Amino acid sequence: MSTLLIAVKDGTIKGFKTGVMLLKIMIPIYLLVVLIKYSPIMPWLERLFQPAMSIFKLPGDAIVPIVTGLFTDEYGVIAAMKSFDFSMAQITTIAMIALTAHSLPVESALAQKIGFPPGKILIMRIALAIVIGLLTGWLGGVFS
Amino acid sequence: MSAGFDVILREMLTGSLSTIISVMKVLIPLMIIVEILMVYKVIERLAGSLEGIGRILGMSRNAIFPLLVGVVMGVTYGAGTIIEINKRTPLSRKDMALVAVFMYLCHGIIETGFLFYVAGANVLVVTLGRLLFAFLVTMLAARLPHFRNMTD
Repeated sequence: MSTLLIAVKDGTIKGFKTGVMLLKIMIPIYLLVVLIKYSPIMPWLERLFQPAMSIFKLPGDAIVPIVTGLFTDEYGVIAAMKSFDFSMAQITTIAMIALTAHSLPVESALAQKIGFPPGKILIMRIALAIVIGLLTGWLGGVFS
Repeated sequence: MSAGFDVILREMLTGSLSTIISVMKVLIPLMIIVEILMVYKVIERLAGSLEGIGRILGMSRNAIFPLLVGVVMGVTYGAGTIIEINKRTPLSRKDMALVAVFMYLCHGIIETGFLFYVAGANVLVVTLGRLLFAFLVTMLAARLPHFRNMTD
């Protein structure tokens, strides 16, 4: 078999296996978020985070994918975002915040292993996630 | 509960199914691309031609390859590459610090670009926008005394 064909075959198998692994985490997150969305906690969460989220031009709901992302990963963000109706500009802002600061426990452990200072990286990521969120939110209209 | 259980159950079922489809739609092509990049040593070749960019970012040419791996393919691949490189020819403290800044702000652009494009984000912003942001931050960091004065 040619190198290219082997690469395609291996990639397909790896992609499928990784997908199954990720879905085992994503589906429970998604189901939990749907439950939270319909529970009385949601209106309360929305009101509580409305002021904080409005600086990013986001609705209060946006706190759910952002916080999920901090503790899980990009796939958790997607799973948590799925059950809400965000606009393209809002999804882009959530993506920029969450992609800058996500998987904090796992990626901090990884940083330690490589020899990077995990605490400093953590502070940098959270601070810059806020900066990039402000920037994207402010430019938001351009992208929708 | 503000909706009936049948509504919630139906939403859970269709949502779970479409989550499965969108994850597979992203991951299978992604892993094929990653395999091709590795088999043909694309990133190694690309790293060689990006020395100029390394200079703007204040990094030596040694640091470009692992950074590129992390930025393009993902933080776990980047981490693995850094650990491997440090076993042979250790990166300087300054290189490590600057790679950390860039890689932790922006990694796995193919994967996250795909993933958030499928989810409905603006794909140019989540790929090029993040690259540009990480680039500017790293460029600035390299000029701060804290990073500039790092010696081994």
